[in-house]
Amino acid sequence: MTVPLHHPDDQLLIGYASGQERAGKSLLVATHLAYCPDCRRRVASYEALCGNWFEELPCAGDDGLDGLLDRMDGLLTAARTPPEPAPIELPPIEPVAAGRTCGRMVPEPLRSWLPDAIDTPTDDGSWREISKGVWLSGWERTLSGTTIRLLRMASGAPVPTHRHTADELLLVLRGAFRDEYGTYGLGDVAHYGDGTDHYAFGASEEDCICLFLLDGDLIFLDKDGNPL
Amino acid sequence: MPFSREPQVPGTLDKDGAGSPEADRFGGLVHAVAQDRDRTAFAALFRHFAPKILHYCLKLGADRSTAEELVQDVMLTVWLKAASFDPAQATVGTWVFTIARNRRIDRLRKEMRPAPDPDDPAMIPSSLATPEETAQMVQSSRQLQDAIETLAENQSEVLRRSYFLEQTHEEIAEDTEVPLGTVKTRLRLALSHLKRSMRDKA
Repeated sequence: MTVPLHHPDDQLLIGYASGQERAGKSLLVATHLAYCPDCRRRVASYEALCGNWFEELPCAGDDGLDGLLDRMDGLLTAARTPPEPAPIELPPIEPVAAGRTCGRMVPEPLRSWLPDAIDTPTDDGSWREISKGVWLSGWERTLSGTTIRLLRMASGAPVPTHRHTADELLLVLRGAFRDEYGTYGLGDVAHYGDGTDHYAFGASEEDCICLFLLDGDLIFLDKDGNPL
Repeated sequence: MPFSREPQVPGTLDKDGAGSPEADRFGGLVHAVAQDRDRTAFAALFRHFAPKILHYCLKLGADRSTAEELVQDVMLTVWLKAASFDPAQATVGTWVFTIARNRRIDRLRKEMRPAPDPDDPAMIPSSLATPEETAQMVQSSRQLQDAIETLAENQSEVLRRSYFLEQTHEEIAEDTEVPLGTVKTRLRLALSHLKRSMRDKA
């Protein structure tokens, strides 16, 4: 398997293509696109659909835009084609980290958002253990109402049973995890709707690290299914 | 921007795709702007696209003066980035739409739009897929194109209003004089019609 098997819903892809989807989920969709040539094609098709809708907008005759065209004349003269951007300087990867991660970096756009490499040790304070072998990153962002964190699961370690009040989305950045629906590997997306209880556990030798998006609250449940 | 530099599957372009006289005309104008800094060609592009950009921004909640600034901003980008337009990837209309979309997200929502970087070495290129996966992707792309073309008119209209014009279900019901439940049903049907073209989940 070289390309992802689990994709974001078409709802997210068309929302991303049209610009209707907000920044939080767009960050996850865009990062999945870096892993997934298939979804890149789907998004291109949806952009073309939006392009058709754009072309159907009226060509109003009397819209007073002629004056704007005249005013742009000076701008066009002043505007010089910007020089080619300098090649992007990639953050150096430490040999140890590179060995541990098979040299695979987190792709853009997520990489620029993250403060550090994702596979930092769990005992350096940047990870908070929520149950044995399961950690949440200390790093946390809220973007257009969506909370964004990293979730880390050691091999075989189960995420405690939980319920959420709105969408939960996971994107695998390293390793693999399993839930009741299947196995998720690099670049795969799992999407859980509101009100669902589900389980997940690390299913790879190395720790599984996911981008973890949550729209509402996360409620951990005790062994009888009651909120803790 | 569309994902330039990646080989595109034939048949994924929109209905005025490469080869149609209309697409050739606009493509030729963009080329003239890129190569010769041709202001007459730019003016022709402006007359065609500026009213559409204005309309798009007004529909998405910009006031008149902000919408005009956005028109200027988008058309200036067309002038500066004309050389990056690739007719094999998208029509000029789709290309201008993506510029307008990105600018208004910046300006009206004060948000940035996250996008993959095609030059990022960490991006998985389509050439890395196995022949089986590539064949499957080509097929899935054709199926999606078929699904888009065979959407029922009223389902396509609900999609357009919901995703392109960002109307709420309530606004769509009011504008189209259709009960709210029908709007929701049509949207659900439209999305499941598109989803059926998604390749089988493992």
